[in-house]
Amino acid sequence: MTALAADLRALLTDSQVLDGPAELRTFGYDASFLTQMWPAEPQVAVIAGSTQDVSRLLAYANEREIPITPRGASTGQAAGSAALNGGIVLSLNGMNRILEVDAANLQAFCQPGVVHAKLNEALAPLRLVFPPDPGSTKMATVGGMASTNAHGMRAVKYGPTSAWVLGLEVVLADGRIIETGSIGSRAKQSSAGLELTKLFVGSEGTLGVFTKLRLKLMPIPQARALVMCLFDVLENAGTAVQRVFEAGVSPSAIEILDQRCLRAVNLYRPELKLREDAEAMVLFELDGNPPGVRYDASTVSDIVGPLATSVEWSDEEKRIAALWEARSLVGVAVGTLRPGSNRAYTGEDICVPVSRIPETLRAIQDISAKYDIIIATYGHIGGGGLHPGHLVDVQNEDEVRRVVQVADEIHKLALRMGGTTTGEHGVGAARAQYMPDEHGPALDTMRDIKRALDPKGILNPGTIFPEGVHLREPRALRMAPAELAGDPG
Amino acid sequence: MLSCVRCGACLTSCPTYVLTANEAEGPRGRVAMIRAVVEDGLPLTDDFLAHQQSCLVCDACTSTCPAGVRMDPLQVALRSVLPRRRSLGERLGFALLGDLRLLRAASRLLRFYQRSGLQWLARNLGVLRLLGISDKERLLPRVPGSFLTPSGQVYPAEPPRGVTADASRSDGARLRFFAGCIMSTALADLDQATIRVLQRAGFEAEVTAGQGCCGALHAHTGDLARAEELARRNIDAFAGEGTIVVNSAGCGAMLKDYGHLLGTADARAFSARVKDLTEILAGRPLELRIEPETVAYQDACHLAHAQGIRQQPRAILRAIEGLDLKELRDGGMCCGSAGVYNVLHPEQAGELQRRKAESIIASGATTVVTCNPGCLLQIRAGLEEAGAEIQVKHLAELLDEASAR
Repeated sequence: MTALAADLRALLTDSQVLDGPAELRTFGYDASFLTQMWPAEPQVAVIAGSTQDVSRLLAYANEREIPITPRGASTGQAAGSAALNGGIVLSLNGMNRILEVDAANLQAFCQPGVVHAKLNEALAPLRLVFPPDPGSTKMATVGGMASTNAHGMRAVKYGPTSAWVLGLEVVLADGRIIETGSIGSRAKQSSAGLELTKLFVGSEGTLGVFTKLRLKLMPIPQARALVMCLFDVLENAGTAVQRVFEAGVSPSAIEILDQRCLRAVNLYRPELKLREDAEAMVLFELDGNPPGVRYDASTVSDIVGPLATSVEWSDEEKRIAALWEARSLVGVAVGTLRPGSNRAYTGEDICVPVSRIPETLRAIQDISAKYDIIIATYGHIGGGGLHPGHLVDVQNEDEVRRVVQVADEIHKLALRMGGTTTGEHGVGAARAQYMPDEHGPALDTMRDIKRALDPKGILNPGTIFPEGVHLREPRALRMAPAELAGDPG
Repeated sequence: MLSCVRCGACLTSCPTYVLTANEAEGPRGRVAMIRAVVEDGLPLTDDFLAHQQSCLVCDACTSTCPAGVRMDPLQVALRSVLPRRRSLGERLGFALLGDLRLLRAASRLLRFYQRSGLQWLARNLGVLRLLGISDKERLLPRVPGSFLTPSGQVYPAEPPRGVTADASRSDGARLRFFAGCIMSTALADLDQATIRVLQRAGFEAEVTAGQGCCGALHAHTGDLARAEELARRNIDAFAGEGTIVVNSAGCGAMLKDYGHLLGTADARAFSARVKDLTEILAGRPLELRIEPETVAYQDACHLAHAQGIRQQPRAILRAIEGLDLKELRDGGMCCGSAGVYNVLHPEQAGELQRRKAESIIASGATTVVTCNPGCLLQIRAGLEEAGAEIQVKHLAELLDEASAR
């Protein structure tokens, strides 16, 4: 046992500290291609049981300048929760209790490790919902959602996670515990002072560790319907979305799946029997009261009709749920399109202006052809978010190198289109290199904030900020994306 | 294994991950650790072995995985190469399963223990607690007086209820019944119930001679050689034509996997002929009626996850007049039985058993139905421990009652 592990066992309890050589391997990855190919590992992993555990651990690590990587379920796709700099991985998914649901005030108090779907299952009997809805709802934690400011399909109507977090209990780098959003408050809004909650949400573990969340809830809409439209011409899909907005309809989700994705959905859930004879499918979800939903669904059908080859709508709850389940896992399922291939999560989360989506989709197809890499694209077309899914044979070194180049081109494409390299997954270590181009001098302001809150740079070094952090034993990322392009070995 | 992209979709389906919230106790972690050993030559450390052996092989992750990773073959292959010390009891148990004659003799001994007053004595004198086996002893089934000995005997189809014609129904084919080892001895009542139900559903049932244990427990604990030997024996015994019907989910999953296990054409042909009882009965015209009762259905992992059979048992249950079907809040979650997992990992299995008992009690059902002997015994013991007066039945048992004239 290392001295570090021994110290931590004395500080916490024996079973909270993991340092077996095999189990440490399980704390060196998330879903990103970066950590899939080049997993890292911490010296120690700690499973936190309480705010006090986190506070004691951070005080200890800060004094000794040991890197801390907080993690939830590590379902992220940007290498934001893997121990790329060694040190300690702080696992928060054992803190998984829903502390209180205050139905009268439409809010819930949760520990960070609560799984998103579990929260909504618990809220369902009260006819309440926490609306941010990432594809990883079944496994992602609310703490992870807040730390990456996850969006999901319904962000087009309900906004990102940051719109639904009212307050946070945060452990700062030196172990101090603060509460944002006014101490003990149950107010649903506030103008008191700087909005620290919004600063911490999306900070990806670089500014503090969340140990409690106060989440805003809303009543579950009474009804919903789904309009499924097939397009022969990609451009028409983009036009259709614009026309729907122009008509004053505000769908709760607008998703696009290209032809390859339709094939992948059919492979994963054959019973859905989706048609594959189109260039793209767009799904509009409408929610609200039953007559309103039917009215909106038929309005959307009328508007889209002339542009599409086929339009049908359904308010059958079972079919809608099954379609959304398949949609949420299509990202992984595209791996089944070519036997021996995997989905590579890299360059997987761009967001561009809605008006430039067709153009971007064509450009992605060109990149696919240029590098001879299969790309299946889906995304939240209503908000401009696109998820290009590249296929890779991880044993083919040349293909791995080409996929890394594809991702690089896609990130640069997004910036050229007037968009962002990450619409909803976060920067992590995988996209840190694009931050200077994306933010310019604003990145320095972010650095100032980071230094003020974490002067020793122990919190999730390597994430968001591209430079190495000056630790006692400085250590660069094991494999930064730029290096991968040159030498994937 | 290479198809795992670490998306984490499996995490919350995994019983040991749900219990511990520890990545190393989840499917994604287990795959990552195996890859570290295979690809990077990581040595087989104690923590590696512990995290792999705590896998229930319930296959809940397999049925969730969008990338097509399969845990069962991975664990079977891994366990067959891992060093493993078996206790004397384990070795004895496995030897018994492999030989039906020995198993019948042992079951008679058990029956003597249960009926002679010895069990009463042992339980009340605290001998079991002293030996540390009281929880295991609770799992033992009450052994019936007669066993089902496979010798090629044929049970004719019966006319449907309400029809007086003496000729047997001709619409159902002859089925070849896989009797199982535990099912044909210690739980022989269930096998006999299954045969009666098949007869009433218009089938002729042949209890094929020469068959034996399916080998699932051997495979899951790493004894691949013995599992293959048992597979070959069954393939030989069932040579020829006819659908092979099985009433134990664990055995069914194994029989359907012979093709993969042996990789031969006859093994694949054998596997293709295997059907679970619920696949055979779903949609058959069978008049079923019980006194009004609320019944919960517990998915056996090896039926739901390994064989993908979820709808058929529910459809059959819904067709029973008087039955109000309830779903469990943790439906796809393992009860902790998992072959011999409850004997090898009593602590984790006990916690899963406790949770399952709670969810059954919360469902408000007065009977819970499952399709696997291991689950049956595990849940029965769990509900007994919780002091709940809820009956636990194999589906065949309930169907036998519901179709009795």
